[in-house]
This record gives sequence, structure tokens and C-alpha cells, in this order.
Amino acid sequence: MHLRSLLIVFLLSFACGQDRRITPILNPGCKNCSTTLVYIKADGSQDTVHQLWDFTRGVPTIIYVITKLNSPINITWVDEIPVDFKFAEKPLYSFAASIDKLQEYNDIENNGHIDNKSPQRELPLRHVWWKRGDHQLTEKEAMLHMRGHFDDRRQRGVLDMKLDLLPFKDYAIDLPHLIHTANSTLVDVSLINLTTSEDYNASRFAIHFVMVSTDPKSDTMTYSMRKSLDDEHTPGVFEIFEIKTPKSSRSDDGGFMQFRPVCYTEAERSVSSSTNAYITNFTRTSLPHAGTLRDFYGHFDGNNLLVQDMYISFGLPGDGFYRQHNYTSWSFTIGYGVPPVESFSLFVIIIISIGLGVPVLLATSGITYVLVRRCKQRNNPPARFTDDE
Amino acid sequence: MEAPESSGSSRSNMVQPTSWCHPANRVHRFFALLLMCFLCFGSYFCYDTPGALADNFKNDAHLNTSQFALLYSIYSWPNVVLCFIGGYLVDRYFGVRLGTVIYMTIVFIGAVIFAFGVYINAFWLMILGRFVFGIGGESLQVVVNNYVVLWFKGKELNMVFGLQLSFSRFGSTVNFWVMEPVYKWVSTYYGGYERLGVTLFLASLTCFVSLICGVILGWMDYRAEKILGRQDEQSNSEPFHLTDIRHFKSVFWLLSVICVAYYLAIFPFIALGKLFFERKFDFLPQDANNVNSMVYLLSAALSPFFGILIDKTGRNMTWVIISIVTTLCAHFMLAFTFLNPYIGVITLGISYSLLASGLWPLVALIVPENQLGTAYGICQAVQNMGLATVIILAGMIVDKYGYLMLEMFFLGCLFVSLIAAVLIYIIDSANNGVLNMSPSMRDATMTVKETDETANLLDHEDTDQEETDSRRPSESLEQSINTRDVAQEQSDRIRSRYLAQILPNSNVSERP
Repeated sequence: MHLRSLLIVFLLSFACGQDRRITPILNPGCKNCSTTLVYIKADGSQDTVHQLWDFTRGVPTIIYVITKLNSPINITWVDEIPVDFKFAEKPLYSFAASIDKLQEYNDIENNGHIDNKSPQRELPLRHVWWKRGDHQLTEKEAMLHMRGHFDDRRQRGVLDMKLDLLPFKDYAIDLPHLIHTANSTLVDVSLINLTTSEDYNASRFAIHFVMVSTDPKSDTMTYSMRKSLDDEHTPGVFEIFEIKTPKSSRSDDGGFMQFRPVCYTEAERSVSSSTNAYITNFTRTSLPHAGTLRDFYGHFDGNNLLVQDMYISFGLPGDGFYRQHNYTSWSFTIGYGVPPVESFSLFVIIIISIGLGVPVLLATSGITYVLVRRCKQRNNPPARFTDDE
Repeated sequence: MEAPESSGSSRSNMVQPTSWCHPANRVHRFFALLLMCFLCFGSYFCYDTPGALADNFKNDAHLNTSQFALLYSIYSWPNVVLCFIGGYLVDRYFGVRLGTVIYMTIVFIGAVIFAFGVYINAFWLMILGRFVFGIGGESLQVVVNNYVVLWFKGKELNMVFGLQLSFSRFGSTVNFWVMEPVYKWVSTYYGGYERLGVTLFLASLTCFVSLICGVILGWMDYRAEKILGRQDEQSNSEPFHLTDIRHFKSVFWLLSVICVAYYLAIFPFIALGKLFFERKFDFLPQDANNVNSMVYLLSAALSPFFGILIDKTGRNMTWVIISIVTTLCAHFMLAFTFLNPYIGVITLGISYSLLASGLWPLVALIVPENQLGTAYGICQAVQNMGLATVIILAGMIVDKYGYLMLEMFFLGCLFVSLIAAVLIYIIDSANNGVLNMSPSMRDATMTVKETDETANLLDHEDTDQEETDSRRPSESLEQSINTRDVAQEQSDRIRSRYLAQILPNSNVSERP
């Protein structure tokens, strides 16, 4: 099994090569800051994809900027907080996703997903205090593990996020084994032991996303569900959701988010601990009043800036609500370009070809054998009778 | 499953009584038939309760797929051996009446233990329950077959076997239809795993009803024996000798390969099918159950007709190969398309019924009559062994590699059985065998070349004979005359046996 996955990884990396050369830097321009902002420059042959993973102001934010090659970024810091981002050249395209709040909802009807009828409570992440866990920022991998605590004694629990970028295409190690490429980052979000509201007896959580892209304001982001035949990588889950920015829908060089409608209620992710994830429709909104998104996009042309939000909610009728395990973790990838599509693995292809080939071969050879024998018998029937006698 | 043949002649000599209370009266016998049908109903009904409530087992009792699949395989495990022993015990010690009541009681106790295990959510107790249930279940099938032969031999035997098969399938089908609503009704009073437990307690009541049927039938049989003066000849029947196995021909072993490999692609699929339809085709639980029950439903409806069809046309190997190929198509459709799964499952159900009708009579054509019980025992035992291991394996495949891989595995199994079938076809054609002849050709072969054909069927006896010949040349003439007589007898028997076996055997061995 390990051999097989190694082989596949090898073949994949061989086939795709190192698409981009990545250079991650922690807190560029503020070496001694205790806050966390990771900047990753990924140089391709035509363009550079800049990524910012920002945790400096509580709200986890991922910003993608696409520029021509050799267009360095300059970040101005005030009190360990980045307040200004400047590129040498005007960015070609940019999009961002940030989780600005969690939404707790009382799922009285027990249908799993969030809707307007259910009572809700906001848990803004502005004041979440993020602690940097293990991280690896090299040319081979950019990985950052953050643990966030609420700055409120009544609100216990941990918001755990892990971001991972590899310079080649690979399947994620953990379920749901999403594909991440040199152009996309894998993000795991876990809600661990969060205190639920005393007033709610059917608490579930949803994540609130604010999505920004440099597309016309009148346009809209879209999400679509694709069904694949192949659940080899995510047993029992045949669907994959893709959120695309308007530019991505038009020309395949915009931004996308990809996820499977599945999340897990135990740290050890398995099929039996899986439950559903839902996406709501997009609504139009505006840039938050303060924060990294405002600082980054504030000076962009307002008519050419699309800001929308949506919820991802977790649950399944009859799964015992959040309190059953006090744990929910979910993964998505966010990236630039064409969303990766999973293909049949080598193993499947080999089995199909062996399975089809051998019987066909056997059947043809068998039929030939029988026919030849029959012809022979017909040609000299007396011989057989003499044998018998 | 060759049950002792008792009263056929004695009963036919009786004057037909007018009272319906008389055991020889048609009405009376059909009342017994009804009881026999209900005797199996309970065990078939309870066998598939986990399948019908699959996702409730996952959500309420928090079983993962492997654990869930273990519920099925633990049923099959004891029967790897008990197919032999159960029938043997009935023949030698219990007798049919006591045997039925004993096995039915075991089945009922098993069902109750299982329900209790779910009610207190103890996995080991569930497993124990299914284990006990399995001990009774398969042996019960053997005794009920004995009952049918006892009451209907020489009368409506084929029809009765067909009807019984249909009714057993009906039990499973009803289960798939009924359990979901029952569960919903129970969950208005109970919650969590308790509601599942209570639902299963209700299901086990069907076993209790079956037990009562068994007792009534026992009494009727006792009465019939007294009135008809039927002799219990069971003690005369020989237990099988394990040494007989050595003499089976290679074609028989290829047949057992089909028995195992083909059925692996059917029963584990049904066991895990409900979630597959829910996940891949977005079916609601009730709809998924309906699709899943199509296979049983079709086999209930079609088995007797396919039996007649093959009876008329012969050419069993062609039918077997056709049905394996169509099964392959069905699984291909389910694996690689999003076509409505009804298409795939209906194809699967039809080909499965066709295979069952075509495959099992073949054993009777290959193996001499006195070894037939052992031969069917072997088929059923290896099949049970295969199913027991594979249902666990299938659960693990789904948990680790998903449903596509599971379908790949089923396709692999079918390819193996296809290869085996093609090999049988080749070997048989090469030896001018009877397996793929039409009935008229078979008759012709048997009358024209009786010795030749029989020698072909019973080649081991012939080789024995030849060895003897070469050693004792003086006796060779006498010996060869003897051989011809024996062969003549065998040949006649084979012909009548072939006709008699078509329905009963498809019934005997269809269940995991």
C-alpha cells in the first residue's frame, strides 16, 4: 500500500514536475514580530503567485495576488501589524478568502444545515489570539499550523487551522484526500471543544467566509457541484464542490475553492466519523471596516472589487449535534487557475485492463480451440469410433 | 440435501380421504406447505434486518462499515462447517420434527440476543446474537427441505420448492420494505440505540411466529405419520464420507469456483448496497432499500420460470456464461455510470436468477448420486466461507478505498467466475460432455452411447476399473459386463435426477 502511494507520488511529481518555485517568508519586514503573517512567493515560468496567510488581526485571511515575474511586495508594519501592502507593479489579479466569524446555530429541526429560521449566535474571530504551532517554511514545503483561543473566558475551545502548500501536485495525506497543487493551498479547519450556548440544545457551527476578488462589482461568484465516479480517495463521497470567482468561470485563470461536502467529528478522520458539510448561497457585502482585507483592498477601485460572503455549515440529521463529539474538522483547498480534477488511479486502470483482457483472451482462444477440434473431428469421424471399440 | 424419502409409496396406496383433516388431503397438505413457508420466513426476515437498517446501525449504534459487515459474516462463519453437521445431526439423532423445533429455537434465541445487544449497545453481544442466529439458520434450511421432500415427494415437489424459494425471498423483500417504517414508528417512543433495539425485538417476533409454525407442523407430521403408517427411514441414510471428495472431477471444482466467485459479487453487494445507492445516487433511505430489494424480488418472481426455461432448453453452460456476462454488465453500469441504478440492479437480479437456475443442476450431472449431498455441501460450504471472509473484506475496502474499489473487486470476482465458466465450457466440449447439450441431445446421447457418456461422467470409476482389468485379465470380461450394467443404471438415474434437481437445488444453495 505504501509502496503504491509512493509510486503514485513519484509518478505524479515526475509528471508534473515542480510547477513553481516557492519561497516562503515569515513576517517579511518584521523579523521579531510575535504575530504571524506568512508570505509565499511562487514563481512560475510566466507569472508569480503571491500568497499571504495572515493571522495578525484575529481573522484568518488568505490573499492571492498574481503579478508578472519579479514584482516584489513591500509590507509596512505598525506595532507588529501589517498595515500597508505595496507591489512594484500593479497586480494582474487578486482574490482572497477570510473566516471572519463562526456562527453557532440551534438546529431545532435537525436538518443539519444552517438556515435563517434557526436561532443563531455570532463568534467573531477579531479577538482570537493565535499561537503559532509547528511550521515548515522551506522551498520544498510551506506549512503552518495555528491554534486560536478566544479572548473571552466564557468562550473556551480551540480553533485550529493548518495551511499547507507543496510545489507539486499531490493528494492530501488525510481524508478527504483533496488534491493540492503548486497553485493551491490545502487548509484544514478544526473546531475543538468549543463552548456551546446554554440556550441551545441542538448546537451546530458554521464558518462564515468573506470572499473578495478583483472582478466587476456587479458580477457574482458561483459554486457548482461535480459528481465523480471515483470515490477511491474519499470513500463514500462522490461529490466535489467548486467555488469560482467570475474570472475563473470565464477563463480559468481566476481563483477557486474546492472542497468535499464532508467533515469529520473525530481527530482520527474516518468514514464512520464523517458528517456532512453544506454551503449556502452567496450574498453581497462590503469590505469589513477594519482588518487586513480592508488594508489590502481599501485602495482598489470599488467598482472593480467583488465582495461576497457565505456560510459553510456542518452536520447531518441524527449525528447527535456538535456536542456529541465536541469536534468538527473540515478541509478545503484555495488556489489559482484550473481546479484540479481527480483521475482513475493506476491501480484501477490495471485491474480493468487485466479483468477485461484475460477473459477475452481466454474466450477467444477457447472458442478457437473448440472450433479447430470440431473441424478435425468432422474431417475424420471414423477414427474416433475405432478408438472407442 | 438429499432428504430421506419415506412415505411416497405407502401414501399413494391409501384411499383418498374426503375430510380435509386427513394428511393425504390436498387442503391439508397445502396448509402444511403454508406452515413450511412461514417456517423459513422468520429467519430470512431477521437475516437482513441489519441491511435494511444499515445507516441506522451506523448512526444509532455507531458501527463502522467493517463492524457492520461483521454482523453478516459472523452469520456465515459457523455455516462453513455446519452445513455438513446440521443435516447429519437431523438424519442421525434429532429427526425432522425435533430438529426443526431445535434449530428454530436457536434462530429465535439468536435474534433476541442480537436485539438485546443492540438495545444495550454492546457490540460483542450483537456479534454473539448473530453467531447463534447463524448456527440455527442454515441448518433450519436443511430440515425444512427434508420436510418438503417428506410431504411432497412424488407430488408437487418442484412447484413446492419453487414456491418456498419465492417465499423466502419474499421474507427478505418484506423486511427491506417494512423495517424503515417500523423504525420510524418506534423512534417516536424511543431514542438513540434503544429505538434500534426495540425495532429488532419486534423483528425477532417473526422468528417466534416461525417457531410456533414449527411446533404445529411437528404435531401435524406426527399425526400424519401415525395415520399414514409412515416409517421413519432416516436412520438408514448414510452419512457422507470425506474420502469421497477425492474422486470429484475437475469440472466440479471449477463449478465450485463459480459458486464462490459469482456469489461474492451478489450478496456482499446487497449487504453494502443501501449506502451505495444513498451516497452515489442520492437516494432516500427508503428508495435505496427498494432498489436493494429488487434482486431478491426478481429472484423470487423469476426463479421458477427460469427453472422451466432451462429445463426446456438445456445448454446450461451457455446460460451460465450469458448470466455471468450480463452480471458483469450490470456491475459495470453501477460502477462507471450514473445511469439510474434500477437498470443495473434489475439486470443483476435477472442474471442472478438465471445463473441460480442453470448452475446448480450441473452438479447433479457431474457427481454420482450417492455423493450428491457431499457435493452440494462442499459448494455451499466454500460459498459460505467465501462470503464470510469477503463480507469483512468488502467492508474494509469501502472504508479505505471507497465504493469504486468495491465495484472493482466485484468485477474481479466476476471475471474469475467467467474464466471458470469458459474453462468448463472448453473442457466439456472437448470431452463431448453433456453439460451444454439440449435435453433432446442429452436423451439421444444417453440412449445411443450410454456407456460412453456414463464413463465420461464417472471417469474415476472407469479408471479404477481399467487398473483392475490390467491386473486381473481373466476376470476382465465379466467385469466389463458388470460395468455396463452399472453404467446403464447410473445413466437412467442421472436423467431423472437432472429433472428433479433443477428447482430444489437452486433453493438449497442460494443463501449465504
